[in-house]
Amino acid sequence: MADEISSELKQKVIDYLKTVSKAKNKEVAHELGIDKHLVDKAISELSKEGKIEYLYLGASFIKLKDT
Amino acid sequence: MDEDTPLLDELEKGPWPSYVKEIKRMAKKNKAAKDLLGIQELSYKDRVTHWKHGGIVGVTGYGSGVIGRYCDVPEKFPDAAAFHTMRVNHPAGWFYSTKSLRKLCDIWEQYGSGMTNMHGSTGDAILLGTTTDNLQPCFDSLTEAGFDLGGSGSALRTIAGCVGQARCEWSNFDTLKLVHDLTMEFQDEIHRPRWPYKFKIKASGCPNDCVAAIARADFTIIGTWRDTLRIDQNAVRNYVDNGFDIKTLVVDKCPSEALEWDEKNKELKLQADDCVRCMHCINKMTKAIRPGVEGGATILIGGKAPIIKGAYLSWVLVPFMKIEPPYDEIKDLLRKIWDWWDENGRTRERLAELIERIGLKNFLKEMGIPPVPQMVYKPRANPYVYF
Repeated sequence: MADEISSELKQKVIDYLKTVSKAKNKEVAHELGIDKHLVDKAISELSKEGKIEYLYLGASFIKLKDT
Repeated sequence: MDEDTPLLDELEKGPWPSYVKEIKRMAKKNKAAKDLLGIQELSYKDRVTHWKHGGIVGVTGYGSGVIGRYCDVPEKFPDAAAFHTMRVNHPAGWFYSTKSLRKLCDIWEQYGSGMTNMHGSTGDAILLGTTTDNLQPCFDSLTEAGFDLGGSGSALRTIAGCVGQARCEWSNFDTLKLVHDLTMEFQDEIHRPRWPYKFKIKASGCPNDCVAAIARADFTIIGTWRDTLRIDQNAVRNYVDNGFDIKTLVVDKCPSEALEWDEKNKELKLQADDCVRCMHCINKMTKAIRPGVEGGATILIGGKAPIIKGAYLSWVLVPFMKIEPPYDEIKDLLRKIWDWWDENGRTRERLAELIERIGLKNFLKEMGIPPVPQMVYKPRANPYVYF
């Protein structure tokens, strides 16, 4: 598996998050039809880039960072 | 002490070390510790706990590592009204320098009660008692000093292993390197709870299993060897010549009757195919018998404490796996297991319970692992027998 997650995948994650208030990683993977491990990595990188944030409401959710 | 604690004082009596004595010592210089004594005394008097969960607390970006704790009688004990616990990820094998331990204690005296639990059953250094306001600055200081928080909640818990090859000649793989590597790889899984419930990984370098991984971990890695025991016949004869009763203490105790003592030729014979690698003969004759050369590990699955469906010992999933960097085989297996569990597990359902509900056959099919005779499900029913 490539170490670098493609910018195309990251953009797909962002586009999906624009349509929901919050989501779980597996929901994003399911919605995009992409391997969850790849989506996990993309989400992790987006978090480091400051584009998304985590919400902890009993379980982990992600959402687009408020700008 | 200004106030009497007659019920707690009882716990100081007896031959064992008492945590009450330590809290009293800390209470002389820390108000929260003093109030903690008061809360405990009241709990014994009322026969009910005075701690409650009061909401989610944590540090920025992390869902794990802080366990919120509030007192339900804050008006009586204002200095311990909030008494949160922080879990600090321990180094592999618990090797600290005194310098780093001093630093850890200094930080905790600055931001918390100063009281610690070294170590909690998860393995982390547990820092007991701080306020909500102090959580973030304490975390910032810890990270500046090179520490990170461990796991809590429905996340991967801090990975633990025995001291392995650092201090033990029986270790069949480098437990410290593996624990460190997995900890670095799975930071997200440790700090961001997103599974049905907790998941524990523990690694023991040999079947003596000094960290009791078989009883305590969902994913158990126990060092073993693929080839056969190495027996030094001269050393065996030395034992026997010095009065060691090899038949009673070793041969008769071999669980699979793989050993035989040839009195005539003064030779210990091994039926290699029958050896189940239990370590008993090695433990009894450390100078004469050693593990084989080709080290690796057995992967077991499903150990847990008795919360929902009782206590389980873990059972064999992969009889033998080489454990070498970059550990891709083990990481791929973990990810596959987590995805399946996350997809199928109910809230607060541990992996073993899910496997029991859906069936080992289905689990193996999803993992792509063929069934083998070593996968004995629940070899023993009660892990407490183990201890």
